[in-house]
Amino acid sequence: MELLLISLLGGVLALDGTSVGQFMVSRPLVAGALAGWAVGEPATGVLIGAVLELYLLVSFPSGGARFPEGASATVVAVASAAVVEAPEAAALGVAMGLIWGQVGGFTISLLRRMNGQFVPEPATASSRTVSIAHRLALGFDLIRGVVLTFGGVVIGRGLVQALAGSWPLPMDDTSGLLLVGGAVSAGILLRSLGGFRRRSVLFAAGLALGFIGTRLF
Amino acid sequence: MARSAGPGLLATFLRSFVIQGSWNYRTMIGTGFCFALLPSLRRIFKDDPAALERSVRRHVEHFNAHPYLSNVALGAIVRLESDEVDDQAIKRFKTAVRGPLGGLGDSLVWASWLPAVSMVAMSLFWLGAPPWVAVATFVVVYNLGHLGLRTWGFRAGLRNGREVGRSLTRVDLAAWTERLRAVDALLLGTLAGALVGGEGGLVESGALWAGLALVAFVAGELAGQRLWRPTAVAVVAAVALLTTWGLAS
Repeated sequence: MELLLISLLGGVLALDGTSVGQFMVSRPLVAGALAGWAVGEPATGVLIGAVLELYLLVSFPSGGARFPEGASATVVAVASAAVVEAPEAAALGVAMGLIWGQVGGFTISLLRRMNGQFVPEPATASSRTVSIAHRLALGFDLIRGVVLTFGGVVIGRGLVQALAGSWPLPMDDTSGLLLVGGAVSAGILLRSLGGFRRRSVLFAAGLALGFIGTRLF
Repeated sequence: MARSAGPGLLATFLRSFVIQGSWNYRTMIGTGFCFALLPSLRRIFKDDPAALERSVRRHVEHFNAHPYLSNVALGAIVRLESDEVDDQAIKRFKTAVRGPLGGLGDSLVWASWLPAVSMVAMSLFWLGAPPWVAVATFVVVYNLGHLGLRTWGFRAGLRNGREVGRSLTRVDLAAWTERLRAVDALLLGTLAGALVGGEGGLVESGALWAGLALVAFVAGELAGQRLWRPTAVAVVAAVALLTTWGLAS
């Protein structure tokens, strides 16, 4: 029952990615919190969501580009990591999320190709065929998200249960490893904002604010 | 307006939230655009079913724009159809606006607004704010901008019709984007500071990880987007190798 609930959550959140609303509840930070709540591990959920949000900081559902799908990937990551008590399982969950994000991106491309086969031709379209085709496509996307999440959680949970006991790093080093990967995304974002040379003053001012914040709170 | 879309307007606005539901590589959001327009078109052509179907065929063609800013085009098309503007003029209008509405939306929303709010929320999280505060801040603040942009776009299109370009020029979304990108640089610095010194951050992880993160950050800044996928592969490979090592020892 829990697996079905998680799969449905993944499907609904995946819809938000492009098809319905785009309120960005599909972003890893929010999806992680919701998935954590669903599996009874809210702290693990937000932690994994925040790490994946950092990785996907430079990934957007833009136009026809192929992008890693964050929603179902995060739900899979959180639901996988939550099967063991050790917080170090977060690394395995994040790795599973990164893989499943790519799988999700691939399924979106497939769905878009499939949609292209049945949306009505302009020459023969009618108000009825447009309504049917659009609603069908929405339904297919929901099914895609549910099946994708279901498959990911089944595989991810199996892997984490089998391997979590072998994870050799303590939590501090695990965080370090995951943040090194996230630092690449931060660098990519700075480049896209104009690069360090152009933004050095603002970036340095922000860095100082961040450090002060860590001392105050 | 010669013919009123009446209550169809609200339905069109609400359907704009699913405009990308049938995204495909052939007509892109063309089918979704037509699906969103349908309630208004049904009202406008309520006494002329043949004209309704002609209009549907006009709007189901290839179209693409940023999903939030597509509301500008939706509002303007409702206005043009209500004013009985001819077929070719409507096609020319759609062709003229789809590029700017796509490019402006991508740079304003995806590349500037979304990262800004995301970085605020992540900074709050790593600075030790309760997780629900970080998540709620993200959802509420992001959607204030999102819903504001959708509503403004639809109203501007509806009010100005073919002249909606003037609204876009007056608001100067490109200038707002540039300002927002400067704020993004400040927020990225704040996030970096929180990731280094915050709870569970790089200072706690040790000098080795802090040094590696600095190298990774510089590499990302130098190489740009093409480094993203190799990084994801490297992290997955590192996790796999460490696990294998743990299994063996």
